[in-house]
Amino acid sequence: MEAARGLAEEVLGRAEAQGYGPEVCFAIRLALEEALSNAIRHGNRFEANKKITVSSCVGAEQTAITVADEGEGFDPGAVPDPTVDENLEKPCGRGIMLMRAYMDEVMYNKAGNEVRMVKHRSGGRT
Amino acid sequence: MTPSGRRLLDLQVSRQGDAAVMKISGSVAMADAERLRTSLEDLAAQRVPVIALDLSEMDFISSAGLGAVIFGHLKCRHHHGQIKLVNPTPQVRQLLETTRLNKLFGVYDSIDQALPG
Repeated sequence: MEAARGLAEEVLGRAEAQGYGPEVCFAIRLALEEALSNAIRHGNRFEANKKITVSSCVGAEQTAITVADEGEGFDPGAVPDPTVDENLEKPCGRGIMLMRAYMDEVMYNKAGNEVRMVKHRSGGRT
Repeated sequence: MTPSGRRLLDLQVSRQGDAAVMKISGSVAMADAERLRTSLEDLAAQRVPVIALDLSEMDFISSAGLGAVIFGHLKCRHHHGQIKLVNPTPQVRQLLETTRLNKLFGVYDSIDQALPG
């Protein structure tokens, strides 16, 4: 968890150095947190011997982040919508929806254990 | 503060009559969610009728942090208590709208509005 905090700090620091605005930085931070949380909890299931691989490219016009875990993967299309009334009181299950809402592109690999996300500096969502 | 100047989580609880006000400052990242959950559940265990969360100084919250607030909400409901959200920053307000949690929790502009009388 602390490693995740350090990683988010590093990516955000580079985004801020590029002059990204607070809304875009918030979006990148949120999406990275959600991707890391999913990889730790649902992908690797807290198994210490499994790794999470993160690559990021913070450019002048966009930021791309890839997070891969060593879990079995999942079908992102099968995750219930957390915004419908019957799911509002569920404490979990919002991560993928938030990544999609706050990033401009979110793509999973076929196995479902690697996600690539892109945020444009301007003109994107949220 | 983190090395790059981001504020770490700080929780300050005060009492206002029967109600409690918890001021959440800084960030509620996944590493912080358990601390928030424990603090809210402790207050809920005291059967506080209303817990107002002052979000005016909260810079960031992830879904794990939102989950901690929901755990507190569920625990409060055992004794018909409730959690109210007060004065979120624009980005957090947007997050509450995106998740529709603004429908689950009342969102108020001030502590006085959240705790009338």
